[in-house]
Amino acid sequence: MAPSNPLANWEKIGDSFYRKIAVYDAIFEEDVELENYIAAGAPYGGAIAIYRDESKPFRLRDSQSSRSTIDIYSSSGQQISRINWEQATIRGLGWSDKEELLVVSEDGTVRRYFGLDGEFTSFSLGNGTEEYGVRACQFWASGLVALLSNNQLIAVSKYEEPRPRLLAPCPEGEVSSWALIPPAQTLSRSVEVLLAVDKTVYSVDSTEAEDKILQDGPFKHISVSPTGRFVALFTAEGKLWVVSNDFQNKFSEYDSKSRVPPSTVNWCGDDAVILAWEDEIHLVGPNGAASKYYYDGRVHVIPEFDGVRLITNDTCEFLHKVAGVTEEIFRLGSSSPASVLLDSVDQLEKKSPKADENIQRIRSSLPSAVDTCIKAAGHEFDSYWQKRLLKAASFGKSVLELYNSDEFVEMTEKLRVLKALRDYKIGLPLSYEQYLRLSPEGLIERLINRHEYLLAIRISEYLQIPADKIYVHWASQKVKVSTVDDEAVCKLIVQRLDSKPGISFEAIAQAAYDEGRSHLATQLLNHEPRGGKQVPLLLNMEEDELALDKAIESGDDDLVNFVLLHLKSKLPLASFFRMINTRPMASALVETAARGEDVELLKDLFYQDDRPIDGANVLLTEALRDTNLTHQTEKLHLASRLLSDSKEPTVVLHQKLVSEASQLLKTQDALDKDLADHSEFLGLSLNETVYRLVRGGYGKRAQKIQSEFKMPEKTFWWLRLRALVAKRDWGELEEIAKIKKSPIGWEPFYNEILGAGNTKLASVFVPKCSHLPSAERIEMWMKCGMIVKAGEEAQKSKDLNTLELLRTKASGPAATEIERMINQLRPRK
Amino acid sequence: MSRTPPDGKLHTNGTQHSGSALNRMRAQWHFTFCLFLATWAISGCSAAWEEEMGSDADHFRDKARRDLLTLLEATRGKKNLVISQELAGPVGLFVKFSVLQEYGVDRVFLLENANIDSSQRNVVFLVRGEKAHHVRIVAEQIKRLQNNGNVEHEFSIFFAPRRTLVSNAVLEEAGIIGDVNIAELPLYFMPLEQDILSLELDESFGDLYLHKDPGCIFHAAKALMGVQQRHGYFPRIVGKGDNARRLADLLLRMRKELDAEESSGLADPSARGLLPSASVENLIIIDRDVDFGTALLTQLTYEGLIDEYVGIKNNQADVDTSIVGPAPTPQSQESSKSPQQAKQGLKRKIQLDASDQLFSQLRDANFAIVGDILNKVARRLENEYESRHTAKTTVELRDFVQRLPTYQLEHQSLRTHTNLAEEIMRLTRSETFRKSLEVQQNNAAGADSTYQHETIEELIARDVPLKTVLRLLCLESCMSGGLRPRDLENFKRQVVQAYGHQHLLTFWALEKMELLQPRSSATTMLLPTSGAQAGTKTNYGYLRKNLRLVIEEVSEKDPNDISYVYSGFAPLSVRLVQCVLQKPYILSLIKGGSPAASLNTANTTSPGWLGFEDVVKSARGATFSIVQKGDDKAVRARQTLSGNSATKAVYVFFLGGITFTEIAALRFIAAQEAPRRKIIICTTSIISGDRMMEAAIEKGSFAKAE
Repeated sequence: MAPSNPLANWEKIGDSFYRKIAVYDAIFEEDVELENYIAAGAPYGGAIAIYRDESKPFRLRDSQSSRSTIDIYSSSGQQISRINWEQATIRGLGWSDKEELLVVSEDGTVRRYFGLDGEFTSFSLGNGTEEYGVRACQFWASGLVALLSNNQLIAVSKYEEPRPRLLAPCPEGEVSSWALIPPAQTLSRSVEVLLAVDKTVYSVDSTEAEDKILQDGPFKHISVSPTGRFVALFTAEGKLWVVSNDFQNKFSEYDSKSRVPPSTVNWCGDDAVILAWEDEIHLVGPNGAASKYYYDGRVHVIPEFDGVRLITNDTCEFLHKVAGVTEEIFRLGSSSPASVLLDSVDQLEKKSPKADENIQRIRSSLPSAVDTCIKAAGHEFDSYWQKRLLKAASFGKSVLELYNSDEFVEMTEKLRVLKALRDYKIGLPLSYEQYLRLSPEGLIERLINRHEYLLAIRISEYLQIPADKIYVHWASQKVKVSTVDDEAVCKLIVQRLDSKPGISFEAIAQAAYDEGRSHLATQLLNHEPRGGKQVPLLLNMEEDELALDKAIESGDDDLVNFVLLHLKSKLPLASFFRMINTRPMASALVETAARGEDVELLKDLFYQDDRPIDGANVLLTEALRDTNLTHQTEKLHLASRLLSDSKEPTVVLHQKLVSEASQLLKTQDALDKDLADHSEFLGLSLNETVYRLVRGGYGKRAQKIQSEFKMPEKTFWWLRLRALVAKRDWGELEEIAKIKKSPIGWEPFYNEILGAGNTKLASVFVPKCSHLPSAERIEMWMKCGMIVKAGEEAQKSKDLNTLELLRTKASGPAATEIERMINQLRPRK
Repeated sequence: MSRTPPDGKLHTNGTQHSGSALNRMRAQWHFTFCLFLATWAISGCSAAWEEEMGSDADHFRDKARRDLLTLLEATRGKKNLVISQELAGPVGLFVKFSVLQEYGVDRVFLLENANIDSSQRNVVFLVRGEKAHHVRIVAEQIKRLQNNGNVEHEFSIFFAPRRTLVSNAVLEEAGIIGDVNIAELPLYFMPLEQDILSLELDESFGDLYLHKDPGCIFHAAKALMGVQQRHGYFPRIVGKGDNARRLADLLLRMRKELDAEESSGLADPSARGLLPSASVENLIIIDRDVDFGTALLTQLTYEGLIDEYVGIKNNQADVDTSIVGPAPTPQSQESSKSPQQAKQGLKRKIQLDASDQLFSQLRDANFAIVGDILNKVARRLENEYESRHTAKTTVELRDFVQRLPTYQLEHQSLRTHTNLAEEIMRLTRSETFRKSLEVQQNNAAGADSTYQHETIEELIARDVPLKTVLRLLCLESCMSGGLRPRDLENFKRQVVQAYGHQHLLTFWALEKMELLQPRSSATTMLLPTSGAQAGTKTNYGYLRKNLRLVIEEVSEKDPNDISYVYSGFAPLSVRLVQCVLQKPYILSLIKGGSPAASLNTANTTSPGWLGFEDVVKSARGATFSIVQKGDDKAVRARQTLSGNSATKAVYVFFLGGITFTEIAALRFIAAQEAPRRKIIICTTSIISGDRMMEAAIEKGSFAKAE
C-alpha cells in the first residue's frame, strides 16, 4: 500500500495543527436524508441514533416512513437496531457513557435503552413536567438536565436509581440557549447549568441561580469545553467569544460574518470551537484564528472529549488536534530526534550508512526519541505509519543498552485491538486517547452490545481480562432466540460454559424467565453456585418454597427476611404458617420481627402451633405495656385462661403465677386506696410490697399478705429485718430479740443492725448467736466496742492468748477488768 | 468437694492482703514492698505483636476510617450526622469527633433521641441495615423533616455494614427511597486492641440463643472472609458447637461463591482464587453455648471485675466521679467525645486500653495481686520523682524536666486505678459478694449444688440484684445439667415474688436459651462417669475431671495455668482451645505430670482435635475440623517463594461473645506460644454474665413509675 502523506489534511490554526481523518466512507444510504434527521452519537466512537426531525417537511412516500422510528447506526453506517417510537414528541436524545440511549419525551417520560437492542427502562421526570412540558434536554456521561417550558430545570444524576431533582428556580425570560457543566467539572461536584436569558447568563445549581451580569446577549449558543474551563458564546451579531468559566476573562473573539447562527456550536478538544451550519464548518482556534470546511450535504457534529466526529452521508471523519508527539515527528522541516530516528529507518532500508550517522547524532536523546515514536504510533490511524513508527522505535531501542520495552509491547497490543475495532464491520472508530479512557472492560461491553462475541472473547483472552460477562450475554441471547426445546438449550449452554469461572447462571435464568421460559429458567438456576443470587428470581417465578429454602441455605438473614416479607403479604396466613412451620430459622425470624411490629400475628402463630406459654407471654407483655389496671388484669386473666387447659407441671406453675400477678395487683390497688397518703404499691413486687408495709409501720397488713401469698417464712423475716432497720425501729427489733428462735438465725440481725450503726442493740444479739465459735463472738463483741464482754467470752472458752491480746487494746476500767480475767485464768502458782 | 471456700479462701485472702497494701500506699506514696512482678501476660511479647500482628487491627481500623470519611466527603458541605446508639460507640473506636468535624460534620445526633433538627441542609444517617426497626425510625425522621421544615433537605443513609433488601422494602414502603442517597459502609471487624477484633454486636448473644436469629453468624462469616481475603484461606477450621459449625459451613460456602465469582483471565486457572494462607495456622471457632458456665462466673481479673462492676463499652468505662475524681486536664482525656454526651454529670469516661501502660500491666492479672502491682509502680514513680534532688548537672535536670509529662500521666493513671481498685475491693469485701462467690465456686468445683440453695434464697430475700441471683441459678443449671424441677419451681416463685411477676417472661427466655432448665431424666446421668455421649448439653462433670478444669494450687501471683483467672477454675472454652494448640500440656495435666516441663516441647504435630475427640464430645454441639485445600502446586510455589514464616497466626473466634477473663486466659496461652504462634482473638462482642442475663430479663414492669 502506498504510504499516504502523514501531513495530509493538516490544517494550521494559530500555533497548532488540526487534522481531519476520514475513517469510513459511504456510510448512509442515499435515501436517508440526513438534513431531515436529528442525530446523537454515543461518546467513544459509539453508536449514532437518528430520528426524523418533525419540524422539517415530510415527503410522503410510504407508510413505512410515516411511522416514527429511532434508528441506531454504527459509525461506519451499519444499522444496529431500530426502535419504533409511538410516544409523545421527542425533546431530548442522548447517550450515557455506557452507551445507553436516553430518550426524553415532551411529557417528561425518560426511556433508557440499554444494550442497543431496544430493551429499556423508563421513569418520569415529575416535578410538573406533565403540566409544562419538556423543552429541551442536555446530557452528560451519567445524567441529564431537562429544561421545561417554564424555565424550570430538572436534573437526574444517575440512571440506575433516578432521582429527578429540581434545580434552583431561575428567572423569567426567553432562554436563548443553554449548556450544562458535568458534576466532575464543577466545584460543588453536582451538575450546574448555564442559562442564557435575555442579555445575560445565569449559572444555576441546586441552590441558587447566579446572574453573571453580561450585557451582550442574547447568546444564540453556549457551549462548555470538555474540561469545563472555557465557555464558548455565540452572539446574535454572529460573533464567537471564548471566555473563562467564571465569565471574568475573554480569551478570544471570532467574527463568523454570518447573520444566521450556526446549527451547533461544539468544542473540538479544549482549544478549538466548531461552528457548524448545514454544510459548512468553521474551526476556530485560540485568538480567533480559524479554518473553514465545506461539504456537499448536511454535516452532523458528534463531540468527543479529544475531538469531534463529523458525519455526512458519505463519510465519517474524525477531526482533532494533532498530538504534540506527532507534530514533533512529522512537522515540515522537523529535526527532532524522533523525526531523525524515523528517517534512519528509511536509510536503513536503503542500506545507507546515514542510518548509523543519524543514530550517533541523536544518541544522547535516543531514549526519549524512542518513547516519542511509540506514542506517535498510538495516535496514527494509518497502519502504514503505525508500523513505520514502531519500526523506528524498535530500531532505536536495539541500539540502546538498557531499555524497558513494556510500553512498546503494550502499544503493539493496543494497536492490534484498535485496528480490530476500527474495521468497518465493527465500526468503533476509537482514538488512542478514547480507548484509554473507555478501558478494555468498557470496550468489551460495547462489543457485547453489538453481539460481537467472538471478537470480545478474543480480545479478553488477548488482554487477559474477565470474559464471564461475554458468555452470560451470549447465553442470554441464545435463550432468547433459540427455538429448540428447553432441555437442549440448557444442555448447550451448560456445555459451553462449563469450567468457565464466574458465570452468573442467575442472569441467564433471568433472561429465560423474561422470555417466558420459566422451566428453562429453573433448570439454569440449578447451575448457579451462589444461592443468594437465585432468590429474587425464584420469587418472581412464584417458586416461593424453593426461594425460601435457597434463602435459608445462603445463611443470609436479610434474604430470608425479604422472602418472608414477600410471602407474608402474598399468602393466606394459614399457608404462610405452614410454610415456616417446618423451617426453624424462618419461624425464628418471623417471631422476632413480629415481636416488634405485629403482635396479633404472633398470637395467631402461637395459637396455630399450640404453644400456650408463648401465647400467654404475649398477653403478659401486652399487660406490662398497658397502664390501665383493668386492662392489665383482663390481659392477665386471658393469659391465665390460655394456660388452664394443660396439665403439664410447668404450664400449671406458669398459670398459677400469672393469676398470682393479677391477684397481687388487686391487693396492691386495695392498699393504695386504704393508705392513700402513702407511696403507691401498685406494680411493686411482692417482697417490695411487704418491705414497704413494714417500713411504713403496717406490720399486720404485711403479715396478712405474707400468708395470703404463701411467702416463705425466711424471706419474710429478712424483709422485716431490713425494713425495720431502714425505719430505725429499734424498739420493734428489741421485741423480736425476745423471741426464742429465728428462722434466719440471729447473725443477720447483728450484722444489719451493726451496719446501721446501733452497736448497743447489735450487741443484744451476740449471745443469741450461740452456734458460732467463740472466736467469732469475741470479734462480734469487739465490733460493738465491748471489750469486757469479749473478754468474758474468751474467759469462758479459757482462751488466754486472746485475753492477752485484748489487754493491749483495752484501756481504763476495761483494762483492769481484763487483767482480772487473765489472772483468774492463769494457772495458780 | 475440692475447694471448700466457706471462708472464701480463694479470693478473700488475696483481696485483704492487697487491701491493706492499698491503704498503706495511700498513707505514704513510697512503700518498700518489693515483689517480683510477673510480666508474662503483659509486655512479654507486645513488641512482636505490634510489628506483625498490628497489621490486622490497624488494617481494619484504617479501612473503617477511610470508608467512613470517603462517604462523608461525598456529601458536600456541612452536615448533621444521625447515628444509632449501637454504632456510636464502635465508630468512636476508629475515628475521633474532631476528624468528623474536619469532614464537615456539624453536630451528631443519636437516632434514638429523635431530636434531629433542620440546622443543616445535609443530613446523614448511619444505621445498621439489618435492623429493620432502625430503618423505620430513619424513614419517620426523614418524613418529619421533609414535612415540617422550610429547608429543602438532602438526605443520605449509610448502611453498615451493608444495604439490605429489607431496608429497601422499608424505605420503599415509606415512599422515600427516591429522596435519599444510599451508600454502604462495610463495617465488620473493629479492633479493640492489637489482638482483639470484635464485631461489636451488642445484641448478638440474645439474637443467637434467645431469638435464634442467625444474622450475626452471617455477619461473622463476612467478617472472616475479609480476613481470608487478606491472608489467604485458613488452612484449617477447627470448631466446637452447632453455631460454630454453621459459621464454618458458611465460610466454606462463601469461599465457593467467591471462587465462582472470581473471574480473572482465562489463561491460568491456578492463579485464580485465594490460596490457603502461609502465615495462618488455623481458625478455631468456639460457640458460646458450649460453655455458658464459664461466662456466668464472676470474673476475677482486674479488667473482668471492672467490667462486672462498672461496665466496659468500646474500651471505655463510665465511672462515678466520686470514685475516680473529675476529669483531670482536658488534654489527657483523649477519646472520641460525641457532643451528645454533654451531660457533664457524675460519670467520667475512662479509656481502658493499651494506651494506658499501667492498665496494660493490670488488666489480665488476678485481682488479688493488683494491689501489689500498684504498690510497685507507686514506689518506682516516687523514686524516679525523687531523683530530681540528686540531679546535679544541668543535663540531668533537663532530662528530668523532659520526663516530667510522662510522670504526670503515669501519676494520673496510678491515681485512677488505685481508686478504682479500692472501690472494687470494697464491693468484693461485702458479705453478699462473698456468699455468691462461694456458691459459684462450689458449683464450679462440682460440689452438690443443693447445699447452695439456702444461700441463694437468702440472697433473694436480701434483694441483691436480680442478675446476680439468676447467674447463680443458671450456673447451677449449666454445671449440673439442670435444676431439679421442684427446686426450679421454688426458685421461680421466689424470684417472681421478689423481683416482680414480669420475670415469668425472664424465666421463659432463660429456658429458651437453655441457660436455666429443669433436669430431665435423660440428663440426670450427667455424672462424671458417663463420658462420651455427644450431647445437647455440656457435661461439666466429665470435663472437669478429664480436662482438669479445677486446679487448686494455681498461684495468682505467678501463674502456671490459665485457671488463675478464676482463682482455681480454668475456663472450659479456653481449655478447648488448648486441646487444639497445647496438646502435650493438657495430656500431662490429665496424667498429673509436671505440666510446666512439657510446655516447651509442645511442638504439636497432630492437628485439629486429634487425641481429644472423645473428651470433646462431652461438650455440647458439633465437633469439627475442616481442612481447606488449595491447588497443591500453587501452595508449594507460594511456600518456596515466601518461605515458611516463623510465626503463624491462630484466629480464635468466640461466637456469641467472650469475657475479659477468657481474653486474659487466651493471652496467657499466647505468651506461652510466642514466638511460634500469635493468637488473634475474634468475637461477636464482649460479654459478661450480667450481659447474658440482660438479654433475657424483661425490662417492663407493672409499676407506673417509668
